[in-house]
Formats: sequence, C-alpha cells, structure tokens
Amino acid sequence: MTSKIINMAERIKDAEDRLLESMFDSAPIADDGFSAMVVKRVRRRLWLRRLTLPIAAIVGGAIAIKPLTGLVAALASLSSMVPKEIVSATTALIPQAQIIVLGAMLLVACMLGVRAIED
Amino acid sequence: MIGGDDKELVARVVSSQDTAAFGELVRRHQSQVRNFLRKLTCDVSVADDLSQDCFMHAWDKIQGFSGRGSFIGWLLKIAYTTFLQSKRKSKRYAEILEEVGHQSEVESRTYAVQPDEVTDLDKLLAVLSDEERGIMVMSYACGLSHREISEATSMPVGTVKSVIFRGKEKIRTSFDIKDHQHG
Repeated sequence: MTSKIINMAERIKDAEDRLLESMFDSAPIADDGFSAMVVKRVRRRLWLRRLTLPIAAIVGGAIAIKPLTGLVAALASLSSMVPKEIVSATTALIPQAQIIVLGAMLLVACMLGVRAIED
Repeated sequence: MIGGDDKELVARVVSSQDTAAFGELVRRHQSQVRNFLRKLTCDVSVADDLSQDCFMHAWDKIQGFSGRGSFIGWLLKIAYTTFLQSKRKSKRYAEILEEVGHQSEVESRTYAVQPDEVTDLDKLLAVLSDEERGIMVMSYACGLSHREISEATSMPVGTVKSVIFRGKEKIRTSFDIKDHQHG
C-alpha cells in the first residue's frame, strides 16, 4: 500500500517536471553498426577465453619439458636404490610396472597443473 | 531480429552464452545507453567508447542480473559506473600530466563540448555536478523511477530525491525558471 502511494506520488508531475522532461528529451540514436561492433568484441573475447587454457597448457608444457625430463631421470635413478629383489619381483608380476608408475606420476602432475591453470 | 522479452534473452545469454541474444539486447538498448552517456560526458565519441565498454562489462556481469528490476535500469547502473571509473582515470591522468607540466594535453583530455555545438541541454547540464547530472538524466531522460535510480546509483531513495530537488533548484536559479509547485 505504502509503495503504491509512493509510486503514485512519483507519477504526479508538475509543469516543471514536464518542462525538464522535454528539455532532456532527445531523438533515438540509430544503431549504425554499433551492436554488431559490440557483438564482434564479445565473440573475440569468448574465443580468447576458450583458447587461453589450451595455449597456456602448450606453453607451460613446452617450458616444463626440460625440467620434467630431468625429474624423470632423477626418479629413474632413485629406482636403483630400491632393492633388486623387489624390482625383479614386481617386473616379474607386472612387466611394465616402471612405465606405469612413471605414467601415473606424470598424469597426477598434469592434472595438478591443469587445475592450477584453471584456478 | 530475435523475439522474446529482455529477461528471456538474458536467460539465453546466461545459459548458453548466446551472442546473438546479447546482440539483440544491445540493439534494443544502445540508443538509451548512448544517449545517457552522451549527456553525462557531453562528448559523442567518448560516450560511444564508454557505451561499448559498458556493454562489454554487461556481458561479463550478466549472470549478476537478478531480474528483479528492468534490464535497462541494470544497464544504466553499469553505464554510470563505467562513466565514474573513466572520469576517475582521466582525472588521475590529468593530475599526472599536471605534475610533469603538460598543461596543454590536460586541457585537451577533459570532457568538453565545442563552443559551436553548445545546446540548451548542454547549458542546463553544465550547472549540475556529475552526481546530479547522472541522476537527473536517469530521471528525466531515461524515465527511471526513484527506486530504480536508487538501485542504479546505490543511494537511498531519500538521497536520490534530495539530489533531484537540489538539481532542480540549481536549474531554476540558473535559468530563472519559476517554481510551478510553490507558485
């Protein structure tokens, strides 16, 4: 009820309000390609956002490949510290055990990297 | 041309990032937004650049449109914020230039109309502060209610009313308009 009264009071305009309205009034502006320009900018921004993650992943991968190979080599050398009996036992059970372990580690590293980029 | 009201188009933009639906929203409201900013800046090219920025901000923030008020009210809020931000930036720029002694550039960067293009409306707007100008334009040129202006400017309704009252007083005294309400 109160808001209705307020709205009604707002709608009651005196001659001064009408004069001001006529002074502030202006002809509508023709579009003339304005909206097309805005949409073009929006589409460009969308594409940029879509490309950001893959490009960042490629650039990040290219930067990380050298230290990553070093890390893999270091991890491989660590495997020499593991008693030979255990290594031979696991390779006897699963022949590709070493590759699986390295692959899993790389997968985890990639997932963490992608998550960090997304954040 | 895409059919449906503004809220349906907004829903399409939010749900599927539909640029065509957003384009239709821009086409519908560009005139009001550009007119609003032209009145605030008194410079057509600056106003059009700010209008583009305003619509880009609107695209980024469209998920924040609750649908409670009108879409144009929400857009004008963004336009007003964009104007204030730009004003702040150009003020800061002018201060830096002034510090290093580039007075001529400072003068050329401020929003100003050319003397031969001054209209009655420009004279009228010139007596108002930025805040008064923004609120008066929203009220008298865009037809927003006091409540909508209050939402757009994040001011209480009472403050909006007093700013309009003050603006009218200034126009009245500057242009010798008789007070119709009080005789």
